[in-house]
Amino acid sequence: MAIESVSLFNPSQINPVSTTSKLSPSEAQADFGDFLKTAIQSVNESQKASDVATEKLINGGNIELHDVMIASQKSSISLNATLEIRNKVVEAYQEIMRMQV
Amino acid sequence: MSIFGGAISSLEKGLDFSAAKQKTIAQNIANVDTPNYKAKSVSFNEYLSSAKESTISAYRTQTKHIDFQTKSSTAGVFDYSNYSYNHNGNGVDMDKEQANLATNQIYYNALIDRMSGKLNSLQTVIRGGS
Amino acid sequence: MSIFHGMNTTASALTAQRLRMDVISSNMANVDTTRAKLVDGEWQAYRRKSVTLKPLDGNFSNFLNVAMGSSDNRSVGNGVKVSDVKEDTETPFKLVYDPTHIDADEDGYVEMPNVDPLKEMVDLISATRSYEANVTVFNANKAMLSKALEIGK
Repeated sequence: MAIESVSLFNPSQINPVSTTSKLSPSEAQADFGDFLKTAIQSVNESQKASDVATEKLINGGNIELHDVMIASQKSSISLNATLEIRNKVVEAYQEIMRMQV
Repeated sequence: MSIFGGAISSLEKGLDFSAAKQKTIAQNIANVDTPNYKAKSVSFNEYLSSAKESTISAYRTQTKHIDFQTKSSTAGVFDYSNYSYNHNGNGVDMDKEQANLATNQIYYNALIDRMSGKLNSLQTVIRGGS
Repeated sequence: MSIFHGMNTTASALTAQRLRMDVISSNMANVDTTRAKLVDGEWQAYRRKSVTLKPLDGNFSNFLNVAMGSSDNRSVGNGVKVSDVKEDTETPFKLVYDPTHIDADEDGYVEMPNVDPLKEMVDLISATRSYEANVTVFNANKAMLSKALEIGK
């Protein structure tokens, strides 16, 4: 019985990982910039919605009290989330700048 | 942001429904002595599934003319048109309305508690656990 | 519908029941009044008064909706109001034999008001119960609004 040698490394069976597209640094920047912009826009929207709800509350208009409270909480949460993301980004940047080359 | 999906939007709808039901209960108890009054109620499924209420706007020949107040009907509100408990045609069952009042109040409080809990946990998560 | 819509509904009910109570007290106070109104030179006895209640069903858009053919009345309603305080002209006056009375007619009968105290007492209890029920609704409403103010605390 002939013993076949087993090869541990068979290049044809290993697919390279390069099926995922690699982003160039400028593309990564652009994506993150867009993300940040949309995040800030949504914070703005939720702040405006909360203001509209409060206006309606003040003028005795067509709204329920829990809607006003929930809108204000949502805008507060969105704002906090965006602030925290900003803080983390700035911290990451500073961390990187601190690296000694 | 889509962090407010799922449970929070369901809670909002439940709260709106509970508020509408509270108003119908108040109306029923207010009209407990009115002759030929039929009790109102709100249907949960119909309330949830309806997207918008009907809106009517006035036909204005100039934009400076004042429009109607639009939202006047609430989705899912219906009359019990067959029941009548009194000789004067009044259809309000006071015991049922009182029971509904208590139930609705507990339901509303429970939803508010849940909503508060979810929003607070979001705040905690965002602040990083501090 | 503002946030106080439910409270306004209940307030209208409290007003209506209070007015009903006032009418009942007026009836009870005048149970012996033989000279209430001067009609054609003759004194007439006091006629019992009663209130008519009607539901307040909302604003113009709602009527338009119903008129346009959508079958149910879909507004939650705005409460109740007293549409009329009218005299009870159907129940006859009570005739009491008392020739010494100043208003006795030639047979000695006096026309007394058509107020039946028992009926008035029953109405009184009914009005009181309705008033209490509406106060319960008001408190429940207020508790719900206070709870809503605690979202996020």
